[in-house]
Amino acid sequence: MDWIRHHPGAAIFTALIGLLIFLWGMAIPLSYAPEPIGPAAELFAEGTRVTVGLTVVSGLAGLVLGVLVGLGNLSPIKPIRWFCAFYVWVLRGTPLLLQILFVWLVLPTLLPAQWSLSDFTLAAIALSLNIGAYNSECVRAGILAVPHGQIEAAKALGFSPFQTFWDIVLPQSMRIALPALANNLASLVKDSSLAYAISVVELTMVGYRIQAESYQPIPVFLTVGAIYLILTTAFTTMTNAIEQMLDVGRKR
Amino acid sequence: MNETATATTTPNRIASHKTAEAMIVMEHVNKWYGDFHVLKDINLTVARGERIVLCGPSGSGKSTTIRCINRLEAHQSGRIVVDGIELSDDVRQIEAIRKEVGMVFQHFNLFPHLTVLENCTLAPIWVKKMPKKEAEVIAMHFLERVRIPDQANKYPGQLSGGQQQRVAIARALCMKPKVMLFDEPTSALDPEMVKEVLDTMIELAEEGMTMLCVTHEMGFARTVADRVIFMDKGEIVEEAPPEVFFTNPQNERTKQFLGQILNH
Repeated sequence: MDWIRHHPGAAIFTALIGLLIFLWGMAIPLSYAPEPIGPAAELFAEGTRVTVGLTVVSGLAGLVLGVLVGLGNLSPIKPIRWFCAFYVWVLRGTPLLLQILFVWLVLPTLLPAQWSLSDFTLAAIALSLNIGAYNSECVRAGILAVPHGQIEAAKALGFSPFQTFWDIVLPQSMRIALPALANNLASLVKDSSLAYAISVVELTMVGYRIQAESYQPIPVFLTVGAIYLILTTAFTTMTNAIEQMLDVGRKR
Repeated sequence: MNETATATTTPNRIASHKTAEAMIVMEHVNKWYGDFHVLKDINLTVARGERIVLCGPSGSGKSTTIRCINRLEAHQSGRIVVDGIELSDDVRQIEAIRKEVGMVFQHFNLFPHLTVLENCTLAPIWVKKMPKKEAEVIAMHFLERVRIPDQANKYPGQLSGGQQQRVAIARALCMKPKVMLFDEPTSALDPEMVKEVLDTMIELAEEGMTMLCVTHEMGFARTVADRVIFMDKGEIVEEAPPEVFFTNPQNERTKQFLGQILNH
């Protein structure tokens, strides 16, 4: 952990390269594993890529959504605040599995037929909407945690409300919100497994199918679990390092 | 009304009239927090280059008074004119006044995510639209004046309280203000750091800056102030030059206050 603190840039680079190499080449060492893992190595690799794809796409979309909704929740305009509060209320108050099923079954009926979104896209939309609701609360808390004296100092220097927000409040609030946002990302890596319910062949689904064919759940699910651990380790290494990079002001 | 109105461009300045002579004019200013009457009919005129110390017990309204001058607090009745610009609800008037009024806070309020130099250049660059290079030259000039140019690339969290407060003074000066407001600038400092901040403020006073300072440093008031103003319960109770204020206070509440803070 000390190494991440002292060399955050190198840590991000290492974790990113490590993750890419893992995604690209993990089937090679896995193929040497005994039955039932070895023969299914390529399936594991494909499932892992889908899981990471879901995580990255929904993580980024959820971050943008979280910032927008978090700001909307603090908007002086009442209808915007109501809308954002309603969104958070619904998405936090219902099961993620239900949301995934709902988006999968209902969204295509609302869109023009020629759009025909893939199951992966529909899962990503549901996951983004869900993590966006949780992220928005982290962003809102981060903004509220910036001391009022900071805003007063900016006002006293003649900053406009927008400049105050953009240059003073937002950078400080993101630093405060980051550990909580990183937590949500770590959850997302695992929550993406719920996409199996709408037949997205991600890592958990791959494990389920292989054990169903081989009748050997123990080695299969241990392998799946180990891959998830590798993924979450890579993601948390990156988010820890970003936290260190943004924490410049507090370094002594 | 024969005088030429020299400053009719935005912001709207009050030309002619005696209010244009003074740097700050407060007339019949009243403020309430709900039912609580915080400022009661405050009348105060500050001449250019004048140094004023406001003192009084906590809750007497002295901080609120100076915070009304740059609209960190809004007053409900009366008028405030700063350098000929009348404070109104018009955002342009408020921003025009804030450009001319520097403020130093009790808790420094430096921006922790920016370096000392960036703290000093951010407002000139974004508010005054100054080129970055020029802003940095000015910032270094004022950091030298407060004697911390070598800390320019550190972050506020790496500095002592006294150093942070001197940066805060430099940051305000970078906007080339005509008035400086100090809201208990030494109250949050360890005792051994009070002097370095007061010395910086004394130098500023010697250069002719118009200053309003809320402080309990009576030594500073004695050496620097042209006038000491004593407030209690939202009113200006007494105002006098320091030599009169400290040796021959007239009001009973002033005597009591001075007795408490000078003889401990």
